[in-house]
Amino acid sequence: MDSIVILFISGLLGLFVGMRRQPLSALVISSLGLTGAALAAYFRGQYTSPLAAYTAYIPTQSAVVILLCIVTLLAIWGGYQRYRQENEHTGDYLSLVLFSLCGAIMMAQPNDLMLFFIGLEILSIPIYVLVGIEKGSALSAEAAVKYFFTGSFASAILLFGIALLYGATGSFQLVEIQSNLAIGIWQSPMAMIGSLFLLAGFAFKIGAVPFHFWGPDVYQGASNAVLMYMSTVVKITGIYAIVNVFGQIFRDSYFYWIDLISLLIVLSMFYGYITAWKQTSFKRLIAYSSIANAGLMLFALADIHNSNIFLFVAAYAFATIPLVTINEFADQNSDDLSNWEGIAWKNPLVGAALVLALFSLAGIPPLAGFFGKFSLLWSAVPHIPYTAVLALIASVIGAFVYLRLLMLALKKPEVQVKKALSAEQTIVLLLTTISSITALYLI
Amino acid sequence: MALILLPLIFSLIAWWIPSNFTRIFGLISTISTLTLSAVTVCYFKSNEPILIDLGLRFVRFSIDSLGFTMMLLTNAVFFLVFLSNFKRELVHDIRFTALALLMQFGLLGIFTTNTILGFYLFWELTLLPIFLILYWFGNFEKPRAILQFFLYTLLGSLAMLLAVIGLMHATNQQTYEGLLSADLNALGNTSTLLMGGFLLAFAVKIPLFPFHTWQAETYTKAPVAGTMLLSAIMLKMALFGLLKWVLPIFNGIATDFWRWPVIVLGLIGIIYGAIIAIRQNNLKTLFAYASLSHLGLIAAALMLQNGETNQIAVVQIVNHSIVSIGLFLAAGIIEHRIGTAELTGLGGIAKVAPRFAFWFGVLTFVSLSVPFTAGFIGEFFLIKDLFAAHNLTGILASATLILGAVYMLKAYQAPMFGPTKVTSFEDLHWSEITVFAILSIAAIYLGLSPQCLTDFVAHSLSQPTL
Repeated sequence: MDSIVILFISGLLGLFVGMRRQPLSALVISSLGLTGAALAAYFRGQYTSPLAAYTAYIPTQSAVVILLCIVTLLAIWGGYQRYRQENEHTGDYLSLVLFSLCGAIMMAQPNDLMLFFIGLEILSIPIYVLVGIEKGSALSAEAAVKYFFTGSFASAILLFGIALLYGATGSFQLVEIQSNLAIGIWQSPMAMIGSLFLLAGFAFKIGAVPFHFWGPDVYQGASNAVLMYMSTVVKITGIYAIVNVFGQIFRDSYFYWIDLISLLIVLSMFYGYITAWKQTSFKRLIAYSSIANAGLMLFALADIHNSNIFLFVAAYAFATIPLVTINEFADQNSDDLSNWEGIAWKNPLVGAALVLALFSLAGIPPLAGFFGKFSLLWSAVPHIPYTAVLALIASVIGAFVYLRLLMLALKKPEVQVKKALSAEQTIVLLLTTISSITALYLI
Repeated sequence: MALILLPLIFSLIAWWIPSNFTRIFGLISTISTLTLSAVTVCYFKSNEPILIDLGLRFVRFSIDSLGFTMMLLTNAVFFLVFLSNFKRELVHDIRFTALALLMQFGLLGIFTTNTILGFYLFWELTLLPIFLILYWFGNFEKPRAILQFFLYTLLGSLAMLLAVIGLMHATNQQTYEGLLSADLNALGNTSTLLMGGFLLAFAVKIPLFPFHTWQAETYTKAPVAGTMLLSAIMLKMALFGLLKWVLPIFNGIATDFWRWPVIVLGLIGIIYGAIIAIRQNNLKTLFAYASLSHLGLIAAALMLQNGETNQIAVVQIVNHSIVSIGLFLAAGIIEHRIGTAELTGLGGIAKVAPRFAFWFGVLTFVSLSVPFTAGFIGEFFLIKDLFAAHNLTGILASATLILGAVYMLKAYQAPMFGPTKVTSFEDLHWSEITVFAILSIAAIYLGLSPQCLTDFVAHSLSQPTL
């Protein structure tokens, strides 16, 4: 709660400072707000959720909030360069991100479906605006409209699911829903269909196949700065919400659902990685990679009592953010993959960050991505071994996608042109690189 | 601790070394790791493994005598690779030096780690540098070929990852000793399946017969130093994994199930590799298939799970490293100085480069397993043990001696003698002579007194129930 208040106030302040065209002050205020929110979560976070199986240092609830704050911090720094140059919308951008983060924090670990839905809308509405913030670009406008319509549709489905569940159990409280379902209401078609709708709405939000179709277009239309926020924070929040909601509702009956979830996992991974293979646009490639990663994240539902999702989503975010930052570094206005040719040679830090981020996404040890994947598979193998085998085969295809990008970026150019990183980009790349190596000590 | 971490530290420092000093730096760092491990081995008692803890929960190290042998071998191989390339462009490149040292760290990790997850981590860690080395310095026309290498190894290692997870779940153990004490026979067919996962990863790396298709092209197109690293030490990871981890741990139902399939694949590899090698026109491709043939023999022999055989297999592993460094160096020298390694374009080098002819000849004889070289001890005893298993396996395995003579003599005779096609050939540089001399002395020393090695590793090989 403290975190939300701090974020909201700093968002408002950022908005006013932004109106006076002072981008740096807006950045500083937002960064302070995010740091403050993370600290508040850290010191207040003595609450342990029933799913607090993972982190030994920080209770789960505050771990998510801190992760979300840090990821957002990296995202706004990584995307800041553009807004320093064109400072008309800097304040809008920063404060919308912070407002949206308030919703993310509300939504990530709900105990009440109503609260959860409000959080979801607070998270989504600023992002509809953010996607369309590039006023001059037709792609951006198209993406915003598309995202708005499909997103509202998904919200409606989700709401319908919530309503049906309420009809079946008479409560919005997850604990009560669970105890009512446990006494046999589970057999009622209303609860069944309600849960199915809930699952569909969630799958839409994190972009799992077959509810992924909005992803590539929206990602392509968004600016790098927004993409960084959207592809990480929204997924992390979504998957945490799924784990929490379904961890409660499906507690006694998840074997009904596990086949359906396995299907979502396998479809998302194969579809995402195979389609990513032939992309020529970086943003679309990231979109398909995020679809595949959404599939992997759903592995968290395999062992509902003990889901180890934290490391995986953190690794995913810490690998995606440097990549998008590098795309910003390559060329601000284009996302064509040809800009990536030989980019590692323009700056040594870019080279190092790129190699580590791509290997981390491909899941090669000793980088963070491997430990994330390992901890997911660790809890999944005893429950859904065949899905795990298929997921590993899909991972090989995924490794190809990332290696193809890597080989493109490492190609030695005829003439070497050096290019400097801006200070914020340097910080982002350094932090993500260091953290993807030192994840070794977390497991 | 420094035993393992030294290469990692050097590989990080390497990025800041000015490029004039890169080759000296590479040499110095490999010499210092080699010296350190050689000094430590003098104080090493084989019944007291050296324990190293870096504060990681899932990765710990314990160096026993087998680990030490492989460690010395690794450090020696890296030293020789840097020394033999001293006059080449390659070692002037910071990237190569740093990546090679990183790979050395990964290999040392594999040979010394004490936990199954550590084994997997380091196994994959070596993939990263070799991929970049092949990509930057290789001679691949299309990225497809190098991706093929990566696909094979990654598919294999992911199967191993599943097997590792399954094994840790099934036994609740993660250390080597813990896994040895766990009763995997109680798992029945699951243990067969788990072992299959490991074997798939190893079969791709060794490589065994149907999984070898990445090998020839990768060896031919890779830079010589990369080929040396791949064949001399990276493939040994798989044999080491088989010898130290998989066979003792899965001893029982699983090994009974997989013994004959692997032996048969090994035998097919021996004969198939040799026959293909005879027909090859490119020296490097020829040696690649020869490697397939030699390693098939070791893999088949390891599956017999016999203590004596295992000791000899270690001798043969070391011998194969010696031979493959020597032969690929020779092929590299020819390719570098003449511009081609195609046998049809070569002939009469012996007349213009007598020193090269001599040392290449010595290495050819070592590879032919003539008596008084390590190859003789290795192949002779391994074939003897395969005879003991079944007459037919013995007979088929012996084919390696005959067919080996055919392709090795062809590989030596065609470029060195015959009609003179090469008129000018710069003779060996001192660094190359040193490498050849070290290799020959090592091979002959091991051939004369193999017991110094077999006795040393006997202790760590006798622990498993045999």
